[in-house]
Amino acid sequence: MVKTIIAHIKKDFRIEFRNRYAVSVSFSFAFTTTLAISLAAGGIPFSPQTHAVILWVIMFFTAMSGLAHIFVREEDRGTSLFLRLNSPALAVFTAKLLYNVLLFFVLQCMILPVYLFFMQLDVQSPLFFLGYVFLGGIALSSSLTILAAIVARAGARGALFPVISLPVSLPVLWVVIQGTSRSLGRAGFSSPGDMVFLLAFSGTITAVSYLLFEFVWHD
Amino acid sequence: MKYIYRLVYIVMPAAIAMAFLYAPPAEGLGESSRLLYFHVPLAWVSVLAFSISGVLSVLFLFTGNGERRELVHAAHNSAAIGLLFTVLATFSGSVWSKLSWGAYWNWDPRQTSIIVLMLVYIAYFSLESALRENPSRQRIVSAYLVFAMVTVPFFVFVVPRIFPSLHPDPVINADRQVHLESAMKISLMTAIAAFTLLYGYILNLANRVSAINEQKKGDLR
Repeated sequence: MVKTIIAHIKKDFRIEFRNRYAVSVSFSFAFTTTLAISLAAGGIPFSPQTHAVILWVIMFFTAMSGLAHIFVREEDRGTSLFLRLNSPALAVFTAKLLYNVLLFFVLQCMILPVYLFFMQLDVQSPLFFLGYVFLGGIALSSSLTILAAIVARAGARGALFPVISLPVSLPVLWVVIQGTSRSLGRAGFSSPGDMVFLLAFSGTITAVSYLLFEFVWHD
Repeated sequence: MKYIYRLVYIVMPAAIAMAFLYAPPAEGLGESSRLLYFHVPLAWVSVLAFSISGVLSVLFLFTGNGERRELVHAAHNSAAIGLLFTVLATFSGSVWSKLSWGAYWNWDPRQTSIIVLMLVYIAYFSLESALRENPSRQRIVSAYLVFAMVTVPFFVFVVPRIFPSLHPDPVINADRQVHLESAMKISLMTAIAAFTLLYGYILNLANRVSAINEQKKGDLR
């Protein structure tokens, strides 16, 4: 099982490395959005709350443009049937989940410096800021993986993914925007509640996703 | 069991009469407080309908090898009724918000929770439409409902408790007690019972219509 999962992750990264679709499209989106906001703001300083909102709106739509690709690609190329026949659903989902978490981590590592540089952002509590950003990333990517599998089976995928993802992702966005805002401002880290919330959400969603994936994946 | 919902013919008029004639106006809020006997039951039924949709979806997925199609129809009908009640709860809540706080909408955590519940319902119906041609549609939409149901407690119970809210907690609160005068409490409980019966009555009707439609489809085949 572990070997199958590693083989799947390797295969997915190799395909991504060859055409760099998800990384280039998602990063280009985040980059142009950041530049557009910075240009439109014209040096006007934003409050920490506004920065947190903008940053997470960019992160959310970056996830929308990149994370569904992992399942959509399999359906478009007709390789999903091969996967269904040759790999256990558990191994496929674990590989896709880990791939999405790693991919979104890489994307966040690329987006953050760009945002900090162009928006001239001064982070008051860098450690907690990174904690919120990466925990939020894990919570987002873990909840979006099963939804990507659902969307890949449907028509009008581009429009459907944000529609079905937004209500499910909102608790994460809500909590993480508050936490990021506090870490950017002088309030810093006030309570572990937000981080516990993000961890609990990720754990619950991942457990339920494992239970449901079989029904979404097989015909 | 299905006849029990006919009690709505008696309980609903009683609940309306109690809301306007028996319950006293709340101190400070005046006559506008009578919205309590409609807004709270509507919000309760919104969450109840969604939970029942989720439970029916769980039963469809995990029992009967996906053969019990009537469960999917019942889950769909419950979600449709839930969407209607969510719209009404949002509307009644915004009117009350205008009367109490001076604005129809102010993104209070509980207002946000109900609008997110509405978004989940809309997403469910959008997904169902997008999967119309897919033979696995019933399993996939059921899986989405179960997945969405797991996130609802985070909205309804967790988020409003993390962030401060202007919204009162008359029914579910830290003390696990209803902070209302006894006449108001009896009126509220009667209204909740009436709206729950109304939900059951409409769901029962909708399920019978779905069964007839399925039978017609079977006959045509």
